[in-house]
Amino acid sequence: MDLDKLLETGDRCIFKEPPTCAANCPVHLEIIEFISEIEKGDFQKAYKLMEKKIPFHRIIGQICDHPCESFCVRSEAGGAISISELEKAVLEYGAAKPKKVWPVPKKKGKVAVIGAGLSGLTVAVDLDKKGYEIVLYEKTDRLGGRLWDHIGESLKEDNLSEELKLVKDKGISIQFNQELNKNRLTDLLSEYDAVYLGSGGWDEQLEFDPKTFQVGELNLFVGGGIVTRNDSVIFSASSGRRAALSIERYLSKVSLTDSREREGIFETPLKQDVSETEVIIKVEKQSSIYSKEEAIQEAKRCIKCQCRKCMDGCNHLRKFDMSPYAYVRQINHSERIILGTHYANKMINSCTECGLCKEECFLDISMKDVIQDTRESMVERNKMPVSAHDFALKDMAFSNSSRFSLVRKQPSKEQSKDLFYYPLISFSDYVKGLYHGTGKTEYLFYPGCQLPASYPDDVKSIYEYLVGHVKGDVGIYLGCCGAPADWAGRQDLMGENIEAIKKVWEEMERPTFILACSSCIRVFEKYLPEIKVQSLWDIYAEKGLPNKDQIKIPQTLSIHDACGTRENSDLHESVRKIVSKLGYNIEELKYSRERTKCCGYGGLVYYANREQSDGFVAERIQESPHDILVYCTMCKDLFVSGGKRTFHLIDLIYPKDNEDGAVKKMPTLSERHQNRSQVKRSLLKEVWNEDVDEPAQDDYQLVIPESVRQNMEDRYILMEDIQAVVKNAQESRKRFFNPESGDYLASLKREHVTFWVQYAQDDDKVLIRNVYSHRMEIVEE
Amino acid sequence: MYQEKEDYQSWICDKCQKELELTKVKVHYLEGEFEVELLNCPTCHQVFINESLALGKMAEVEQGLEDK
Repeated sequence: MDLDKLLETGDRCIFKEPPTCAANCPVHLEIIEFISEIEKGDFQKAYKLMEKKIPFHRIIGQICDHPCESFCVRSEAGGAISISELEKAVLEYGAAKPKKVWPVPKKKGKVAVIGAGLSGLTVAVDLDKKGYEIVLYEKTDRLGGRLWDHIGESLKEDNLSEELKLVKDKGISIQFNQELNKNRLTDLLSEYDAVYLGSGGWDEQLEFDPKTFQVGELNLFVGGGIVTRNDSVIFSASSGRRAALSIERYLSKVSLTDSREREGIFETPLKQDVSETEVIIKVEKQSSIYSKEEAIQEAKRCIKCQCRKCMDGCNHLRKFDMSPYAYVRQINHSERIILGTHYANKMINSCTECGLCKEECFLDISMKDVIQDTRESMVERNKMPVSAHDFALKDMAFSNSSRFSLVRKQPSKEQSKDLFYYPLISFSDYVKGLYHGTGKTEYLFYPGCQLPASYPDDVKSIYEYLVGHVKGDVGIYLGCCGAPADWAGRQDLMGENIEAIKKVWEEMERPTFILACSSCIRVFEKYLPEIKVQSLWDIYAEKGLPNKDQIKIPQTLSIHDACGTRENSDLHESVRKIVSKLGYNIEELKYSRERTKCCGYGGLVYYANREQSDGFVAERIQESPHDILVYCTMCKDLFVSGGKRTFHLIDLIYPKDNEDGAVKKMPTLSERHQNRSQVKRSLLKEVWNEDVDEPAQDDYQLVIPESVRQNMEDRYILMEDIQAVVKNAQESRKRFFNPESGDYLASLKREHVTFWVQYAQDDDKVLIRNVYSHRMEIVEE
Repeated sequence: MYQEKEDYQSWICDKCQKELELTKVKVHYLEGEFEVELLNCPTCHQVFINESLALGKMAEVEQGLEDK
């Protein structure tokens, strides 16, 4: 895995970028933190933030020209936050005495500061604190320069005098009534290690570096009006602070330019979407200054700008409290561990790889791709936890074994007379359709593995419909597309699977695949772009529905689009067309079509972290008061398990009498296997008239209470596992016995898992009390 | 890993009809191999693992080894 590329992706995330207000504050007051403290009523802490960032905060806090406010995104939703008024309130309610600072020995060098206005005073105080000997040259007989012009309602004369006195108290040497000219400046430059020139009255033209404020290569630095060319106090203070830093670096003989990209104001990459933000009108102060309560209310209006669009849409990112920025760092760390615990494994296996994050991100950061690369890397490095995807991969192997897998061409006209040659009867409208085969397989119906598992009785009806409605022969191909291997990062298995599918495709003379499953569509697009595919739902939308009068009670449905179809807008349209044709109203979900969410099955999260999967289900099903309509089998099964009435399109297109399709329960893991095998057998028997072996009879008649069935599901234990354990125990008597209860307890290792079954015998029945498993092995001596 | 007494005291080996005893048994998973005291039959040595051990401590150790 290319970790540099990974980190680059993470660094593009703007989660940690500053808001526009702070980026446009020349001294970068941490405005969100500042406002958050006010919101909590902690004016003292808010005051400390001002003290930390704003030079002469008691003065500037009263007179700042607040460029921040004009960039506040709240302005579009009720008016900009009154940051300057909040600062005044904080000075009133949160002020603390300045900390007593012990003077630092002045050993680092001598600096002359020309002009005792705001910028010069800032330089003097900043450098004095750092241990430089400062001499202030002022042409008038008092400190403060233009600050005195601001005396008024906010800044009182007494306060200004008091603040300026603090400068004198520091022991900084001040020379008043000093008229400076070019010659005098030349003298000072040789007399002092560095000179700062902040006097607005300086007429000479000076060429200075716009980043460091250094004049040429000289030991002369400028600031104040010379740099800002405006009357802004905050820009003036900022220029002084920046010049002081340059002087310090200059005298310490280190780079003047390193890591200074974001000094002064800058453009933040953060973009805040306020289109859905509730409008709240600015709090007006009732007297000359906000009351505490008014300040708190005003602070509450702050949006606390931060890009969380991907997190807002994703239960997984929120559950682990991860921005892509932080997530990538965790992955980077995990990838670099040589000895130690990979704590991020579970998180990495809890992403559904649904792709909504990328859709929501205006920078197109795709955690789906990051996670996929990471899982593949984990597999390559042999660091993928085996148990995470083991069951899903075994399930895939089952589907591609002879127990389900099947490839057949459409039966000939003679063979299939009863099946497809059907007279047109107006009320049935091509239930099966006319035979118009050609002998060449134009289409191959590939229902996937989950549709036959959940809807075993409908596969044949769908096949008959297709044969009757599309031009050319329709063959059938049962199997698994390989989505589990893809999600598990198993490129080895994926490659084999793709080759197998390609081989069938070639042998069938390159037919178009008709796909019913959105995961298959995704896999075919990703790995088999040469194969032309068509969605089953597009065909229903185009050719018409097989039955009329399906709807019994008109109702409104919310459509949950399958995440695998995110980019397939034609398919979204087809589904809506079908639903409307069936007579239902549609109420769209907020997250739908290209912005749809995952049900919780994607990425094999259902197997790797059931709690996370449940989180997705719970969140999604409460997004609509209506019944949900889905067209992916796993979405249906998960939502129904979560207690939500959910229809699959198949429930509506092929409704069953006496059955409420919306509550049809998910088949168990064992039933999914049985159903798939059943589909294969019944197709072979009923469509191809082939002899099929009936499944071998179970060895034992098991009686399994509901609680144990639930354990089987949660612990991924199949009926066949239990049968095997019981058979082995009964035949070998290798088991434990509990004389008190009469129960037996037996185990058997099957592949990598040891299954335990506690059971009792009741004549010819075996009563199952409990089942569990572990992967750790006992070493036989 | 250890087993609480009440978890096993009523079970016997069905084949040998012997009461179970706690002895050191070697277990391994992935790269890890340990010796732990587990209940087993003194004659045929089949090892007894109950539900709380399998789903508790054992699962925890498996998880730990998988994340190594």
